[in-house]
Amino acid sequence: MKHQQYENWILMDEELNKEQQRDLHRHLKQCSQCQALYQASHQITHLFKTMPEPTPAAGFSTRWLKQIDKAEKRKNRLILFITLGGISLATMILLSTVGLELRSVMGSFPQMMFELVTLIANWFVFFNQISDIITPLFRVGAKLLSPVWLYVSVFGLSGITAAWTISFYRSRGMQKELNQ
Amino acid sequence: MCETETQLIAKATTGNKEAFSMLVEKYQKPVFSVCYRMLGTPTAAEDAAQEAFIRAYQALDRYDPDRSFATWILSIASNYSIDQLRKKKVTILSMDSEKHAWLAPPDPGPSPEKVALVKEKNALVQAILADLPETDRAAVILQYWHDYSYEEIAETLDLSSSAVKSRLFRARKLMAEKWQEMQLISAPNVNAAAKRIAHETSTI
Repeated sequence: MKHQQYENWILMDEELNKEQQRDLHRHLKQCSQCQALYQASHQITHLFKTMPEPTPAAGFSTRWLKQIDKAEKRKNRLILFITLGGISLATMILLSTVGLELRSVMGSFPQMMFELVTLIANWFVFFNQISDIITPLFRVGAKLLSPVWLYVSVFGLSGITAAWTISFYRSRGMQKELNQ
Repeated sequence: MCETETQLIAKATTGNKEAFSMLVEKYQKPVFSVCYRMLGTPTAAEDAAQEAFIRAYQALDRYDPDRSFATWILSIASNYSIDQLRKKKVTILSMDSEKHAWLAPPDPGPSPEKVALVKEKNALVQAILADLPETDRAAVILQYWHDYSYEEIAETLDLSSSAVKSRLFRARKLMAEKWQEMQLISAPNVNAAAKRIAHETSTI
């Protein structure tokens, strides 16, 4: 059997059957390397198993109660800090946004006023130009149309409208009589 | 009236710290022991054990009642100690290098010889464990001092049973090599203790 197998048996911490145990002990007598490993392994196990269990100093749970109180206070402070931090951050963002908006409005206010004045001036110029076009037309019309012509035209148009309306109703009345 | 562990856990889940402190009282020794073997100093062990219980208390709503509370709490303690070792690269010190404010004496009224012997042995144990990788060290501690099976170690350290087997195999080999080295070197305390153990085992 190979040397490695014996090393595995020593280090594997598994129960060996009687035949394996005899085989291993035969090998240990011949192989100083495996013997040293076996002894070291055995001595370490003995050392570990004979060590007393370390015990904390008295009052461990009382100290724990103090520690948990401190930990909870720390946690609460952290939550408070995060909450206040979040609120402060949100407020800062809001204020800076509003501030920026106000600043941009304040920054362009003279320009805005200038544009408003220009617009009003443009409208004023536009109406002025329109009136410049329309006013001469009225003046010419007033000169061309004398009051006599104006009366003749108004009465003439009224007469034509009245004649057309009368003839229209008469023709409808005659149509009804023919249908009956 | 003596309350059962399940009742204490149920009470503690609702925020009853007194109930949990009774669980702390019950499990302080194994938790402290794991932390001490992992970190090597009583102060570090005290801090780690306290922190493990704090974490357990805060995570109690995630505790699965089908699982053993002992395994769960030792799992928290082991993993916290492993993290501490990885983060801070805690140097394992011998018992002589620190005041033992957080460590109770071995038993009431020990003789100076007994105290000296325990110190020697402790130094030896910590020296052997020092060279092991963190997780292997935790597996060794759980097997040798807490008699955990491969399956329990696997559950505690969140490993597979075969991984635990191979880690323990590797750890035993490393420890045996270290032991052989220590018997050859001339460090007075360690060498004397190692020889004493060798003598003890030869007489068994």
